[in-house]
Amino acid sequence: MNLGEIIFLITIVATLGGAAMAVLSGSIIYAMMGLVTTMFGIAGLYVYLDNPFLSMMQILIYVGAVSVLIAFAIMLIGPLYRKPKEWTTVGKFVAALGVALVSLFMFVRFVMETFPRAGNPSFKITTKEIGRLFFNNLVLPFELISLLVVVAILGAIMLALFSRGNK
Amino acid sequence: MEQIGNMIGWETVKMIVGLVGVLAFVVFNALILTWAERKVAGHMQRRIGPKEVGPYGLIQPIADALKLLGKEILTPRGVDKPLYYLAPMIIFVPVLVSFIVIPFSASLQVMDINVGILVILAFSSLSVFSILMAGWGSNNKYALIGAIRSIAQNIAYEIPLLLALLSIIMMTNSFSLKTIVEAQKGLWFVVYQPLAFLIYFIAAVAETNRTPFDLPEAESELVAGYHTEYSGMRFALFFLAEYTNVFIVSAIAVTFFLGGYQGPFLPGIVWFLLKSYLLVFVIMWLRWTYPRVRFDQLLNISWKALIPLAFINLLVTGGLLKL
Repeated sequence: MNLGEIIFLITIVATLGGAAMAVLSGSIIYAMMGLVTTMFGIAGLYVYLDNPFLSMMQILIYVGAVSVLIAFAIMLIGPLYRKPKEWTTVGKFVAALGVALVSLFMFVRFVMETFPRAGNPSFKITTKEIGRLFFNNLVLPFELISLLVVVAILGAIMLALFSRGNK
Repeated sequence: MEQIGNMIGWETVKMIVGLVGVLAFVVFNALILTWAERKVAGHMQRRIGPKEVGPYGLIQPIADALKLLGKEILTPRGVDKPLYYLAPMIIFVPVLVSFIVIPFSASLQVMDINVGILVILAFSSLSVFSILMAGWGSNNKYALIGAIRSIAQNIAYEIPLLLALLSIIMMTNSFSLKTIVEAQKGLWFVVYQPLAFLIYFIAAVAETNRTPFDLPEAESELVAGYHTEYSGMRFALFFLAEYTNVFIVSAIAVTFFLGGYQGPFLPGIVWFLLKSYLLVFVIMWLRWTYPRVRFDQLLNISWKALIPLAFINLLVTGGLLKL
C-alpha cells in the first residue's frame, strides 16, 4: 500500500466518521464538528477525483460559509447548557425512515446515472466549463436557486423586522 | 545522498525541506514581530520599549519564548477536554497550508497550485472553528463570548474580502498566485483597483482580529477572550498563529495589489519581505492609533459600507473588462 492509498483511506474514514459523529453525538457542538470533518473528507475525495477546484470550493462554501453560519445559529439559540428535548420512539422511527428513503432514492439514481457512462472517457471539468454549463443547459435551475436565495433573504429580513416591532 | 534521494524520491525531500523551512520562518517571524510590536508601541507612546535583553532588546522575544516553554501546561477543571486540547493545534493548520502557495520570489515557492488563492481562503475558515472550539471548550463565559463575537465578525468580513480579491481574479483570469504576480509586470494592481485594496486591507485587519477590530479578545471587557483559559505553550500557539496570520494577510495583499516579488535592483525575496513587513507595520500602526470600535459599529461597517462598495467595484470591473 503506498502513501496515496493510505491517505485515501484516512479521507474515507474521516468522511464516514464525521458523519457518524454528526448523527450520533449528543452535543450540538460535537455534531457540528462532525459535519465539518465530513465536509473536509468530501473535499479530499474531490482531490482524488482530480478536481482541486471543486475540492477547494467544497471547503470554502460548506466549511467556511455554511458551517460557520450553523455555528452562528447555534450561538443564537439561547441557553447552551440546556439539553434538547428527547425525541419519541415513533418520531425517531419516522425520521429515520424518511432519511433512509431519500438516501436510497439518491443512491439508486446516482448508480443508474453514473455506471452506464463509467466506460466513457471523462471530460475535464474546468471553471470555464462549469460557467458555460450554468449559462446554457443549467440556466433554469441556476435562476431558480437564485430566486430561492432571494426569497430566503427577504424572509430573514421580514423576521428580523417583525421581532424588532414586538419589543 | 543520491541513493537516499532515489529511495524516497526528490519530491518528498523537497516537501520536507519546504515544511521545515516554513516552520522555521513561522517561529522567526513571530519572534521578530513580537519584538517589533513592542518597539513600535513604545515609540508611538514616547517610550523606548524593550532594551535590557541584548542590543535594542533584540533577544527579548527569545527570553519570552523560553519563559513560555518552561511554564506548566495547566488544564482547568471542567473544560471539554477534546475541544480544549484540539483548538490550539487546529489553529495552526491554515497557517501552515497558506505558506505552501505564497510565492516568496520567482523560484522560492513550495508549490504553484493553479487554485492557490482558494487554498488559502478555504483553509483560513478553519481558524474560526479553532476559536469556537477554544471558546466552547474552555467552559468560561468570557471565552464563549469572545468566540461568538469572532464568528459574527468572520461572517461579516469574509464577504468583502473575497469580493475585493475576486475583482483581481477577474482581471487576471487565474487563481494562481504566481500568475497574478507576473501579470503585474507593468503596473501594480493597486493602481487599477485602489478601492479593492482598501476594502481588502480593512477586511484583512478584521479577519486577523487586530485592533481596532479585536473584539474577540478585547482585554478591557473579556479578560483575554477565547484564550483566557490557555497557558504556557498552548497560549503560545495561539500567539504564534495570530502573528503569522498578520504576515499572511500582508503577503496576500502584496501578491495581489503591490506587485509581489517584483521590483528593481534587489532580488525578489527582499522586495517581497520588504513590502510585506511594511504592511505589517501599517497594521501595528493602526493598532496604536485607533480605539476599538463598538460591536454594532463593527458589523455596520462591513454590511452597510464594505459589502455594497465591493459589489459596485466588482460590477464596474466586470463592465470595464468587457468594453
